[in-house]
Amino acid sequence: MTFAQLVDSLVTTVQVGSLYALMAVGLTLTMAVVKLPNFAHAELITFGAYAALVVSLFVTPNPFIAIGLAFPASALLAWLAHRTVYRPLQRQRASTYVLILSSFAVGLIIRYTLFLFADSFDLFDKRIQIPLAVLLDLGPLRITNIFAWVVPSSIVLVALLSVLLNFTSLGRQMRALADNETMARVIGLPVDRVVDLTWLLVGGMAGVAGALWGFYTFVDPLVGWLILLPVFAAAVLGGMRSFVGTIIGAYVVAFGENTIMLLLNQWFGLDFSFKPAIPFLIIILVLLIRPQGFAGLGRATEGGKA
Amino acid sequence: MSIDPVATLLSLLTTFGIAAMIALSLNLEYGLGGVPNFGKALFVSIGAYTAGVTYTRLMPLLAGQEALTPCGANLGQALQVRTEIIRTLPVVGLTNFFVTLLIAAAIGGLIGYLAAYPALRLKDEWFLGLVLLASSEVVRIVVRGTEPIICAHNGLSGISQPFLWLPTPFLRTAAFTGLTLVAAALCYWFAQRIARSPYGRMLKAMRENSDVATGLGKPMARTRASVMIVGSAMAAMAGVFFVTNVGFASTNDYVVGLTLDIWVMIVLGGLGNMRGALLGAAIITLLDRVTAITAIQLDMLGSQFEFNYVRYILFALILLVMLRYRRQGLLPEPLDTTGAGKLLARRPPPSSAPGEPGKRAAA
Repeated sequence: MTFAQLVDSLVTTVQVGSLYALMAVGLTLTMAVVKLPNFAHAELITFGAYAALVVSLFVTPNPFIAIGLAFPASALLAWLAHRTVYRPLQRQRASTYVLILSSFAVGLIIRYTLFLFADSFDLFDKRIQIPLAVLLDLGPLRITNIFAWVVPSSIVLVALLSVLLNFTSLGRQMRALADNETMARVIGLPVDRVVDLTWLLVGGMAGVAGALWGFYTFVDPLVGWLILLPVFAAAVLGGMRSFVGTIIGAYVVAFGENTIMLLLNQWFGLDFSFKPAIPFLIIILVLLIRPQGFAGLGRATEGGKA
Repeated sequence: MSIDPVATLLSLLTTFGIAAMIALSLNLEYGLGGVPNFGKALFVSIGAYTAGVTYTRLMPLLAGQEALTPCGANLGQALQVRTEIIRTLPVVGLTNFFVTLLIAAAIGGLIGYLAAYPALRLKDEWFLGLVLLASSEVVRIVVRGTEPIICAHNGLSGISQPFLWLPTPFLRTAAFTGLTLVAAALCYWFAQRIARSPYGRMLKAMRENSDVATGLGKPMARTRASVMIVGSAMAAMAGVFFVTNVGFASTNDYVVGLTLDIWVMIVLGGLGNMRGALLGAAIITLLDRVTAITAIQLDMLGSQFEFNYVRYILFALILLVMLRYRRQGLLPEPLDTTGAGKLLARRPPPSSAPGEPGKRAAA
């Protein structure tokens, strides 16, 4: 293994980890506030990627506008799924399994509608075109403009979300809802409005994450589904409710997939085709051994707060 | 495209039988026991991988020949050997098939048992579903990257059904269809027996409220493990039929999509109702075939529209509509009429009870 390979894998870890963090905080927020393990989160990501792709191909190549439009596109889709599917089911007091199944169904509908769309306009395996440029070249450490796009945007968005959760009244309401829904209703919280806004926020962040993912790799109707379980692994590492834990989890998953995989390959000759198994193993091991994940680390009581 | 009606019917019936076995097993686990098995594809794939091993290792031994490495340089020769054995030595082929069924059931049951125990440690019940989903993908990725089981990502062909020695293609297909339907009928009978037994009522108690059942002294951990053993063994046996029906073992068949199809079947047919599982399996098998044929016909007519994608949207819509408007399924779970339920049903109406002891005794 060369030093360059190691540095390269660490750069990829930071890049992919930032994207995972952006996707996973949305997933964690859905699980904490709406109490729904949303497997259709994958398709919100894909939808945002396609929105950005379509904008960049047919409207304007400006990446700001492409990313900017991915937000409302996926936000509206998430809100629509909430209003048509999840909210009616939750009002019927459907069990978590019913909600999980319905989220699978919502995901399938969006995914294969996108397949039909991509098939009609020949939009498989497309990249969102921005000219690749190397910003910084220090021998083994190469920073491209894609890195410069993806990492700061993700970090800024996650930071903004954190500010929103901690310092605004909407954020307080969301946290109240996450902690105790009945109590939130009793004190007269506008639960429906908070949930609506949560969905818009979650969908929009997933959409932006998808658009950024499209800069980084390629856009395909399966793209969200393929990264859903690594994203779930990050959320699981965060105990499915801790915000900071989820972000750390995202980088841990990316580190496992890139750097650890590289080391395993170099030292034990493990084939790279085993790479997708790493996030799955993280899910299994964390749920079995420490289901609260990183949440509550360094606290006297178990179960961290969002 | 001309469609041979008899062959189509036989193939539909075979596919239905296999789907029914898997759906029944999931209906035992989730419909009765409430265990969310989102890793059904894993247990089906165990049957396929077991067949991959026995067809290449055990069968040549049974036929008194040397087992060749199935992959790599000997690929063609090994394929010829196993096809030749099934074609010429009916006893060996059938013995191998039934031994495969037994081994698959044993391995499936063991893995089901192993999968049930971690559930006790899990904080939220749906985590078990996520663990099973992740496990099913891990196993798939490992098998796909490991040569000796089914030649890694290349897959293994020649996992034929055991009736290749019959003289005509019709007889071969008909015999296999018959065997599959007999197996499905046995699974149905068994599942129905479980559903109506005291054990079945314990499963329902676990589904409804496992804390209360524990309070009544029912061993919930053991019950969950045992229903996972039974369901997984059944699914693994169905997997042997699945892979021999296709004739080709490939990790690409045992994805999350397969698991979801089975879930659509039992939600459509009726959770907790074994006839419902059969009905759901029948409808989904038929719809699957109809959409596949439509897609081919459209393609032949020169249409650019990819109808295969519509299949997934259709199945997802069925699932959503059922969950929203008819969660009990087309055939709702029957009221419990065994044991205590039957006694309650037999009791005379309260109006006739006072002052008429004679009638009461007669009842």
